[in-house]
Amino acid sequence: MLQTAFNGLVTGIIIALPALAVTLLFGVLKFANFAIGAMMTVAAYMVYALNTELGWPMLPATVAAAVVFGVLCILMDLVTFRPLRDRGGLTLMVASLGLGFVLENLARLAYGNSARSFAMELARPFRYMDIRMNREQMIAFVVATLAMGIMYILLTRMPIGRAMRAVADNPSLAQVRGIDSAAIIRWTWFIAGMLLAVGGVLIGMDRAIEPPMGSSYLIPVFSAAILGGLGSPLGAFVGALLIGIVSEMATLVIPPNYRIGIPLCVIAAILIFRPQGLFGQAHIRR
Amino acid sequence: MIEFIVLMGIVVCFSGILALGLNFQWGLGGMVNFGLAGFYALGAYSCALLMLKGGFNTFFGALGAMVIVGAVCGLVAFVTLRVTEEDYFAIVTLGVGEMLRLIALNEDWLTKGALGLTGIPRPLSAIVPPTYYPYFLLALSIALVVACIWVLNRLARAPFGRVVRAVREDDVVAATLGKNVLWARVRIFAIGGALIGLAGSLHAFYYQYIDPTQFSTIVVAYAFMAVIAGGRGSNLGTIAGAAVVMLLLEGSRFVKELVNLEADQLAAIRIIIIGVGLILLLIYRPNGFLREYRLQAPLKEARTTPQSTKEVTT
Amino acid sequence: MSEIFRVEGLHAGYGAGDILKGVDISVTAGSVVTIIGPNGSGKSTLVKTLAGLLRARQGDIRLKGASIRDFPPPKRVHAGISYVPQEYNVFRNLTVLENLKIAREFMSGGRAKGKVVSDELVELFPELPSRFNAFAGNLSGGQRQMLAFACALTVKPDLLMMDEPSAGLSPKYMTDIFDCIRKVNGTGVSVLMVEQNAIEALRISDQCVVMATGRVRLCSDAATVLGMSDLQTLYLGDAAASRESWAQASAA
Repeated sequence: MLQTAFNGLVTGIIIALPALAVTLLFGVLKFANFAIGAMMTVAAYMVYALNTELGWPMLPATVAAAVVFGVLCILMDLVTFRPLRDRGGLTLMVASLGLGFVLENLARLAYGNSARSFAMELARPFRYMDIRMNREQMIAFVVATLAMGIMYILLTRMPIGRAMRAVADNPSLAQVRGIDSAAIIRWTWFIAGMLLAVGGVLIGMDRAIEPPMGSSYLIPVFSAAILGGLGSPLGAFVGALLIGIVSEMATLVIPPNYRIGIPLCVIAAILIFRPQGLFGQAHIRR
Repeated sequence: MIEFIVLMGIVVCFSGILALGLNFQWGLGGMVNFGLAGFYALGAYSCALLMLKGGFNTFFGALGAMVIVGAVCGLVAFVTLRVTEEDYFAIVTLGVGEMLRLIALNEDWLTKGALGLTGIPRPLSAIVPPTYYPYFLLALSIALVVACIWVLNRLARAPFGRVVRAVREDDVVAATLGKNVLWARVRIFAIGGALIGLAGSLHAFYYQYIDPTQFSTIVVAYAFMAVIAGGRGSNLGTIAGAAVVMLLLEGSRFVKELVNLEADQLAAIRIIIIGVGLILLLIYRPNGFLREYRLQAPLKEARTTPQSTKEVTT
Repeated sequence: MSEIFRVEGLHAGYGAGDILKGVDISVTAGSVVTIIGPNGSGKSTLVKTLAGLLRARQGDIRLKGASIRDFPPPKRVHAGISYVPQEYNVFRNLTVLENLKIAREFMSGGRAKGKVVSDELVELFPELPSRFNAFAGNLSGGQRQMLAFACALTVKPDLLMMDEPSAGLSPKYMTDIFDCIRKVNGTGVSVLMVEQNAIEALRISDQCVVMATGRVRLCSDAATVLGMSDLQTLYLGDAAASRESWAQASAA
C-alpha cells in the first residue's frame, strides 16, 4: 500500500511540471493547450538525440534541450497562436490540437514508432522503510521538487512572476501599469516550454520514449490542473500530487489499463461539485 | 480507376457523415468533441456487435449504433451540463473517447481486443450482385449523406437550433435563458452522436473488419479539417471539406511514389499535412471556403468590446 | 502657464464607425480638467484611447510637446501618464502590497528606488499599510478604488487620467477620493478625469470639457460651467434653451 502511495507520489510530482505549464499558459493566454503532450514528447526526443547520438550526459542534455525548447515554444506561439489571439479559446484549442498532431508526428517521422530509452547506467533499486525506490524515481523526485521550488520563488517573489500573475488576472490593466504583455507572453511560453521539457525527460526516464508518450499524459495533466483550479499554480502542484496518488492507489482495485478512468472521474466530479477546482476563482467569463 | 473513385466516394461519404456529426456538435452547439475517434469506434463496434453477436440485420445494427452513440453523447453532455466552459468539455470528451478506445482494446471477451472483429455483413449484400455492389453502396452512402443534411438543416431551423446558435456566440445569454438552452445542448450533442454512430456503422460495412487501430488521431484530424475547411456550421461545406481533405490524403499517396518512405513515416506525414493544414485554415480561412448560409452579419464585426478588435494594442 | 497635454482632432472607434469624431483638448500644467457629458458621448472611449488601449485612427496626442499617439500603453506610462480605469482597476488575485509592487516596478520602467510605498503615498492613503496582505479582490469597492488610485501614483506622473473615479462609491469614499485628487494636484500632478458626478468633480476642477456625440461641445473654466443653470439642458443638447448659457460661457 505504502509502495503504491509512493509510486503515486512520484507520478504526481512528475505530472506537476506539465500541470503547472498548463495552468500558467491558461492563466496568461486564456486557453487550454492540448499540444502540451506532444510538446513533452518532442522535448524528450531532443534530449534523447543529445544523449544517445551526441553522447551528452543527461544533465547538460536536459538543460540545453530545455532552453532550446523554451525558445521553440516562443516561435510556435508566434506562428500558430498569435495570429489567432483574438479568436477565442475554442479556436485556440483546436489549433493546439492541430499543433499536437504535427509535433507528435514529426517525432514519429524522425524516430519511428519503436520505444527508446535514454543512455543511463543501470542502477539497482534500493529499499527505504520497506518501500522500493529506483534511481529514476529519486531523480524525478528531486528534480521535480527543485523545479517546483524555483517556480514558487519566481511566481511569488520575483517581478517577472508577479507580472505573469498580473497579466493572467487582467491583461489590459497590466498594460496600463507598465507591463509589456507581449514580453510576458513570451516569458510564459519560455518557462512553460522548460517545464514541459523537464517533464518530458522525467516521463521518458519513467516509461519509454515513443511518439504517444506525452499525449498519454494529457488527461492526467489536465485533470490535475483542473482539480487545482485552472490558473492557480499552487493548485496545479497539489492537484498533480493528488491525481498521481489517487490514480496509483486506484490500480489496487481497478485494472491498470483503465488507470486513465480515475483522472476522468475526478474531472467529472469537479465539474459537478466545484468547477473552479480547489484553489481557483469562480470567474465570470466576460 | 472507376472502381477506385467509387470506393473513395464511399469513404468520403461516411467520413463526411462523421464530420457532419462533429459540425453539428461544434458548429451549431459550440461543443468541441475531442473524443471523436472513440465515439466513432463505439459506433462501429456497436453496429458490428449487434449484428455479429445480436443477430440483427444491417439496418437495425446501424440504427442500434446510432441510438447507443447518441445516448452516450447525451449522457456526457448531461454530466458536463453545469459547466459551459469549452475547455473542460473538450478534455472530458477526450477522456471519454480514450476510455472507449481502451475498452475496445482491452475487453477481449466482447471486442476481441486488438484482433478486431471480422466478417461484418454489408447491407443488402444478399440481394445486390457482387459486381454492382460498390456502386450500390456508393449510392446508399450518398443517399444517407443527403438524408443527414436534410435532417440537420431542418433541425437547425427548428426553434431550439436557433436558440443554441444565438447562445453559441454569447455565453452570458445562456445563463439568463436557463435550462432550456442546456437541454438543447444535450440534444444537440446526442444528435451529433447519432450521426457519428451512423458513420461508424458505414465504416464497419465498408471495411467489413474493424480493430482499435482504425480509430486513431487521423480520424479526428480529418474530421476537424473537413469541418473547418467547409466552414464551421455549414453542412454542405463540411461535405465539400471532407472531399477536399480526402483528396489531400490520397494525393499524399503519390508522394510515396516519389520518395521512398516506410508506411509509418507516410502515415506520419499525412497527419502532419492535416495538422498544418488545420492551423493554416484556422488562421487564413476561418469561415472555410464556403460561407455559412445564415443571413446575419459575420460575427467578428459585431463585437463592441475592445478585446476582439485589431485596433486594441494587446 | 505651459501646456502639458494636448489632444488634437482625435478619431477612434471599435468597429465600422468612429465614436470619437475629432476631439480637441488642452491641459495646462498643474490643472485639473474634468470631462463631463451624457452617456454615449464617447467619454470612456476617449480615456481608453488616451491610455493607449484603443488605437487612434486620426489626430494626435501630445505629452509635453512630444507625440505619444503611437505609443503602446506601457510606453505611455513610462512617458509620464498614469491611468486609473473605471472598473477592474486592481489585480484581484494579488495582494494589496503586490499590486503596489507591480505598479512601482513596471510603471517606473526600472527607475524606482527606495521603499515600495513612499511616505507621500502613505500620507495620501493612510488605510493602505494595514491591508498590505489582503487580496485586492476582498477589499470593498471604495478601498479598491483607493488602491487603484495609489497604484497610479506609486511613481509620480506628469498627468493622471481617471475614468469616473467616484463611480459606485459611497458618499464617504466619494469625498475622500475628490479630496485625494485635490491633494495630488497640489503636488504638481496634472489631472484629467471623466466624471458623471459633474458637480462634485467640477468643484475641484480648473477646466471643464463637455462632450456629446463624440465631440467636444464646450470647453470652459469649471466655475463658469458650475454657475450655468442649465447644466441639465446642456446634457440633453436642447439648443434653444441653452443658447443663452452657451453664449455666456463662450464669451468667458
